[in-house]
Amino acid sequence: MRKTKESKGNKGDLDFAEKRTANALYKKRAGVTESFHPVILLVYFVGMAAVTMVTLHPVLLGVSFIGAVFCTGMLTGMRKLLKSLAYSIPMLAVIAVINPMFVHKGETILFFYNNNPVTLEAILYGAAAALMIVAVFYWFKCYSIVMTSDKVIYLFGRILPRLSLVLSMTLGFVPKLKKQYKKISAAQKSMGMYASNSVTDRVLSRFRVLSALVGWALESSVETADSMSAKGYGLRGRSSYATYSWTRRDLFILVFVLLALGVLTAGMSLGAGVGFYPAFKGISAGLWDIVAYAGIAVLGLFAGLMELWENIKWRLFVSKV
Amino acid sequence: MEEQEKSLSRRQKVKRVLTPVVFFVLIPLLLALGVWAFGDRSYNLIAAAVALLACVPFFVSFERRQKTSREIMVIAVMTGISVLGRFVFAPLPGFKPVTAVVIIAAISLGGEAGFIIGALSAIVSNIYFGQGPWTPFQMFSWGALGFLAGLAAKITVPDKEGGRISVMEKRWALIVAGIVGGALYSMLMDVWTVLAAEGTFGLPRYWAAVAAALPWVIVYAASNIVFLLLLTKPFVKKLERIKIKYEIFTIK
Repeated sequence: MRKTKESKGNKGDLDFAEKRTANALYKKRAGVTESFHPVILLVYFVGMAAVTMVTLHPVLLGVSFIGAVFCTGMLTGMRKLLKSLAYSIPMLAVIAVINPMFVHKGETILFFYNNNPVTLEAILYGAAAALMIVAVFYWFKCYSIVMTSDKVIYLFGRILPRLSLVLSMTLGFVPKLKKQYKKISAAQKSMGMYASNSVTDRVLSRFRVLSALVGWALESSVETADSMSAKGYGLRGRSSYATYSWTRRDLFILVFVLLALGVLTAGMSLGAGVGFYPAFKGISAGLWDIVAYAGIAVLGLFAGLMELWENIKWRLFVSKV
Repeated sequence: MEEQEKSLSRRQKVKRVLTPVVFFVLIPLLLALGVWAFGDRSYNLIAAAVALLACVPFFVSFERRQKTSREIMVIAVMTGISVLGRFVFAPLPGFKPVTAVVIIAAISLGGEAGFIIGALSAIVSNIYFGQGPWTPFQMFSWGALGFLAGLAAKITVPDKEGGRISVMEKRWALIVAGIVGGALYSMLMDVWTVLAAEGTFGLPRYWAAVAAALPWVIVYAASNIVFLLLLTKPFVKKLERIKIKYEIFTIK
């Protein structure tokens, strides 16, 4: 599934798609987080994204953002991280600017734009919302790096077996279909079709190839289905194979993550309140505020620190040999 | 035969109970939880969860239904085609055949299969194009479009020879479907846009987002119409052939 061959000589129709796939699938996989049990990955990353989505508190969002970017950096490497930051930081700025254009609440008026007051509070609110979006974006990025499709299928295969089967089949089909698409396209070209350089011709060629592909795919898929049935798919008592085992380390990590999530949730519901209008109030240091800050610091930086620690250990180990 | 009827009635029973449970109990409960626990500040999370929950009845009924491996395979192939289509036309911004392929598949395979193909297309294509909190919205948007197209295909109109054909075989119906598909998809995704930028949901802001997305609606609708007009005939023909040849999707 992951070994889609890259055709280097053939500058075909799908070069773009090929590149995107390569980017999506050949990510650098160095992480220790990947060796965690899929359940932990689901709880941790979805939990972090959810926690980030429900708050507009600048401290919590800031720490969550740093944690997410840190973790992404550890998983993808510095160069890729900087590349993605070059996109996401301007995006952050744009979202922050949109809010004051719509909202004129707030008591600190900075200036007037089109006869409407632009307030400091509205800008702060926009900035917080933008930080939230970008932080969630990075948490999902981490999630999709560590949560490979086989892990997703392992997790949901028991609850939704048929849907997971369709999902895994589709994931297998995509590279297969892509290969066949190229073959059909090459065959049609060699017959002398699409020789002209006109754009409509080239676009229309894609429709024709796609249509031919559907016929081929449907026919050959039924054969696969029959072979599956012959091997006993859907019969009672069939077991499935999974490479993920639940270790003692996983238990510790899960307990730790759940505890930290619990503490963080308690801190967030009892403290760490935030208000933007009419005047900004939010950064306070009561007991529950500090609990929430500590919770998000521990939890948010956990994955990135684990990766860092593993990297340091690896370096030390290598230098000794 | 008897057994089939039995499983059919059980399936219907489960469906009958589960769908209202999700729509009238779980979703309001979630909304209430959102207001109570997070003081009305977390529309985005709640909305994403609601979008995901809205898919559950369809997923469950897909699990419960008696399906042969051939039918499952055809659904997987059509999902694969819609994902591949997103690749093939990726250089043209906004020119996504996913909606069209989902609608075409639903015309031939029924609304339920249409929903599954739409929802899974969102999951699988986002593995390549970027997963995020918008995934549940895309799942539901494309799924709902597939379901609606499946329902619409059941409406019949008289044809020239005096028989009755599905309305979706008419050219004007495809054009309407393309426009509705583009508009509905864009408007459902705008809910997410507003929630993401604002954190809360306000109608003025929503209409502003819808207005700002209007050029995109036009691109979506135009591309949907092009795809539907060009692909419906060959795709449906091939799907119908497979259906007859292997006796699949006979009970709609």
